Amino acid sequence: MSSRDASLTPLKAVVIDDPPLRQTPEPFDEQSTYDPQLPIAIDFGSSKLRAGFVNQSAPTHVFPNVLTKFRDRKLNKNFTFVGNDTLLDQAVRSQSKSPFDGPFVTNWNFTEEILDYTFHHLGIVPENGISNPILLTERMATVQSQRANWYQILFETYNVPGVTFGIDSLYGFYNYYPSGKQTGLVIDCGHEDTNVIPIVDGAGILTDAKRINWGGHQAVDYLNDLMALKYPYFPTKMSYLQYETMYQDYCYVSRNYDEDVDKILTLENLDTNDIVVEAPFTEVLQPQKTEEELRIQAEKRRETGKRLQEQARLKRMEKLVQKQEEFEYFSKLRDQLIDEPKKKVLSVLQNAGFDDERDFKKYLHGLEQSLKKAQMVEAEDDSHLDDMNDDKSTQKFDLLDIADEDLNEDQIKEKRKQRFMKASQDARRKAREEKERVAKEEEEERLKEQQWRETDLNGWIKDKRLKLNKLIKRRKEKLKLRDEMKDRKSQVSQNRMKNLASLAEDNVKQGAKRSRHQATIDNDPNDTFGANDEDWLIYTDITQNPEAFEEALEYEYKDIVELERLLLEHDPNFTEEDTLEAQYDWRNSILHLFLRGPRPHDSENIHEQHQMHLNVERTRVPEIVFQPTMGGQDQAGICELAETILLKKFGSQPGKLSQTSIDMANNVFITGGNAKVPGLKERIVKEFTGFLPVGTNININMSSDPSLDAWKGMAALAQNEEEYKRTIISRKEYEEYGPDYIKEHKLGNTKYFED
Amino acid sequence: MSGGRGSNGNSNMYNGNSNSNSNSNDGSDERLLFLRSVGERNEIGFPSRFKSAHYKKPSRRHKSARQLISDENKRLNGLLTKANKAAEGSTTVKRLVPKATYFSVEAPPSIRPAKKYCDVTGLKGLYKSPTNNIRYYNAEIYQLIVKPMAPGVDQEYLKLRGANFVLK
Repeated sequence: MSSRDASLTPLKAVVIDDPPLRQTPEPFDEQSTYDPQLPIAIDFGSSKLRAGFVNQSAPTHVFPNVLTKFRDRKLNKNFTFVGNDTLLDQAVRSQSKSPFDGPFVTNWNFTEEILDYTFHHLGIVPENGISNPILLTERMATVQSQRANWYQILFETYNVPGVTFGIDSLYGFYNYYPSGKQTGLVIDCGHEDTNVIPIVDGAGILTDAKRINWGGHQAVDYLNDLMALKYPYFPTKMSYLQYETMYQDYCYVSRNYDEDVDKILTLENLDTNDIVVEAPFTEVLQPQKTEEELRIQAEKRRETGKRLQEQARLKRMEKLVQKQEEFEYFSKLRDQLIDEPKKKVLSVLQNAGFDDERDFKKYLHGLEQSLKKAQMVEAEDDSHLDDMNDDKSTQKFDLLDIADEDLNEDQIKEKRKQRFMKASQDARRKAREEKERVAKEEEEERLKEQQWRETDLNGWIKDKRLKLNKLIKRRKEKLKLRDEMKDRKSQVSQNRMKNLASLAEDNVKQGAKRSRHQATIDNDPNDTFGANDEDWLIYTDITQNPEAFEEALEYEYKDIVELERLLLEHDPNFTEEDTLEAQYDWRNSILHLFLRGPRPHDSENIHEQHQMHLNVERTRVPEIVFQPTMGGQDQAGICELAETILLKKFGSQPGKLSQTSIDMANNVFITGGNAKVPGLKERIVKEFTGFLPVGTNININMSSDPSLDAWKGMAALAQNEEEYKRTIISRKEYEEYGPDYIKEHKLGNTKYFED
Repeated sequence: MSGGRGSNGNSNMYNGNSNSNSNSNDGSDERLLFLRSVGERNEIGFPSRFKSAHYKKPSRRHKSARQLISDENKRLNGLLTKANKAAEGSTTVKRLVPKATYFSVEAPPSIRPAKKYCDVTGLKGLYKSPTNNIRYYNAEIYQLIVKPMAPGVDQEYLKLRGANFVLK
C-alpha cells in the first residue's frame, strides 16, 4: 500500500494570496489636448468603472469602482482614495467601499467623489462644471430613483449639457454590429445579474427580455460558502479577493454538467483537474535539539517508564493474589454447597453477601475470567523476568507449614510474605504451563492445516473464504449495532429502553403481589439460564459494556487480518485488492477524493493543512447561470430563457422558426465580465444546437474582452452623429420634463408603461 | 517617492541600510508621505473644481438596495391603481399597462423539474436524509458527513440552494 502511495508524484499547490499592491498611482491624462465638446463615455459598473473620451479606441481609465476614506492622524486630515489608488496600500485597500449595494447605486456621495476623481484624471479643464456631454450605462429596466439621482448629479452638480443613458449589453451589441440594424440575441453576464435580451433591427425588446439575479459577485460568494463548508476547520480565512482569483483562474463551464460530474471524482481525472490552492502562512520552525540532548531525554523517559512499570507490576501481583485466594475460597464453598438443600445454600450465600445463587455464579464466573486474563498478561510481562525470579524461587517457604499459634509476630509477618511470594510464583508457573500448552496446540493446528492444504488446496481455500466471509459479515453487523446504539431513536435502543422499563415495572409488582406470582423470573423452574457457561457471556454484551464490545471488535479484526494473510499466501485468486483494508483505501473514498484530491492526506503536514482542493467546485459554481435553482434562485437559466424567446416569441411556433428567430440564432452575442469564464460559449453552442430545429444556423459571438464591450459601444454610438443626437437628453429637456423623463432609443431603457 | 510597497503597512523594506530601531518608523513615515502626496494630487476631499458654481450638497437619505426595490414597487403600483381608477367609467382615459419594469423583466421560475444534486459534493444527489433534508451522493457521504452533522450546519448547506428555514 505505502509503496503504491510513494510512487505518486506530489501535486503542485498554487499559493493564492491577495493580488499584489500597485506601485504607481493612477496616471493623469494630458490637459493640453482637452476638447471641451468631446463626449465622455462612462461605464459605471458595479465591479469596475471604465471611462474615456469617445475618440479613443478603449477607455483610458479602468479601475475598481470603490473608494476609501483614509484618516491621516498626524495631519488630522482625511484623504480619499479611489479605484486603482486604493490598491497602493494594504490598509487602504482593506477599507475600500463600493457606492453600490447589490445592483444599485446607493451611496451618491461616494458616486460624486468617484466622478470628481474620474474627471480629474481625464484631464478635464472645468468651467462652471463639465462642458462635455456624457454617455452612461444603466441597468436593464432599472428603478426610477436611480435615474432621478443620475439626472440630479449630472445636471445640477456637474452642469453637463446633455446625457445619454443606455443599457450596457445593448451598447456592447451595437459595438459588435455597428450597422445598428441587426437582429440578434444578447446574453449579458454581469457582476450582479445576468440578462437575456432579444434585439430586433438593432433595438432591444425589453418586453421579452429577462434578468437572472445571479452574477460574478454571487458566484464568488457561493464559492466562498462552498469552501467554508468543505473545510470547516481551515486554519485561516481567505478574503473575497482570494476567492475571486480562484474563480477567475480555475472555474470553467462544463459542456455537460451531469455527465462531467459523474466522472470528475476519479483518480485519472483528478490527476489533471484537481487544483490545490494553498493559503499563504508563515511557517514556525521548531528549534532543533542536539543529538546529546535528545539522547538524555530518551534515557530519562525510559527510566521513568521502567520504574512505573515495576510499580504497576507489583500492584497487579498483589491484586492477583487476592483474587486467587478469593477464588479458591469461593470455589471451595461452591463444592461444599453442591449437595446441600436449596434453603441452606441461599442463607449461606446471603450471609456471604450475595442476593442468590445466580448472583453468586455470576460473580464467580467474572472472577475466573479476570484471573485467567491477568495471568496471561502476567506471563507475557514476566517472561523476560523469569530468569531473575527463578533464582529467587529457591527461597525457602519453611514457615508456611507451621501453624500461626507456634509463631511469633515477626514470623507471622514473614509467613504472610512467603505465602504471597509462593502464590505469585505458582501463578506464574501455571501461566507458563498454560502458554506452553497453547503454543503446542497451535503448532499441531498449523501442521494439520498444512497437511490439509497439501492434500486438498481447493477445499481449504473454500473453507477459509467461507470463514472470512462469515467474520466480515459478523463484523458488519456489530458495527451496525454499535451505530444504532448510539442513535437514541433507533429500533435497537428503543427496544432496550422498553426492556428496561418493563424490568423496572416487574420489580415494583414483586413487592406488592408476591404471593400471586407462581413463577417469577427468579424461581421459574423452566429457567435454565446459567446452567451453561456460555449463558454468562451476555454480561459482556454491548449494552452493558461498550469497552468489551470494542475489544471484541478489535479481536475479530485481528482474526480477519490473519485469515486474509493466509489466503494471500496460498490462494492465487486472493489479492491485496480483496482485503478489508483495501476496501478502506482512500482511493475508493469519494469523500477523500473530494476533500484531498488524488493523493493520500498527511494531516501533520503544515502545507497540507493550509491547502484546499478545487475539483467539483470548478464547474459547480459557473453552472448556476444555467441552473439558478442550484444557487437558490427560483429562476430559469440562460439557455431556457433563450429557448423561450427563440421558439415561442416573435412569431415562432413549435417546429417552425420565424425569420426573426432565425436571425436571432444567427447573431447571438455574449458580453459582460462574467462571460470570461472558460467554456461558456461552447456550452451555449451545445445547448442552442439541442433545442433549435435541426439545420438552424447558429452563430454565437464574443469579443476578445467582453468587459470592455459596453464602453466601446458608447464610443461607437457617439461617432454616429445622427444616431447619437437622438439619444441625448439635454439640460433643457430635463428641466422641462423632470427626473421621470425617459428618452426612448434603440439601446436604452423603455418607459415603464405602454402609451 | 514611488518606492516598492510591501504588503504589510510598516514593512521595513524601504530603508535597508539604517538601523532596525528606526526602520519601521521611517518605513511607515515614507508610506504615509507617499499616500499623502497621492491624496493631495487627487484633490478629493478638497472643494471640487468640477462641480457647478451653484453646487449645494444635497441632503440625501441613504437607502439600501432592498428599500429601493420596495419603493419602486410601491411607486409602480401607486401609478397603476391611480390610472386605472381614472380609467374606470371613462372612455377617454386609457388603462395603464406595464411595459418593462424591474419586476416584469425578472426571469420566471424554470418549467423543468429542478435537477437534484448532492448538497455536499455537487455530484448527483439521488438520496435525501430523512432527518435534515440534505441531499447526498452515496452512503459514504451520508455516514461521514450528513449523519454526524452538527446542528445548524445542515441549514448552512440548505441555504446554498435556498432551502433553509427562514424565521420571520
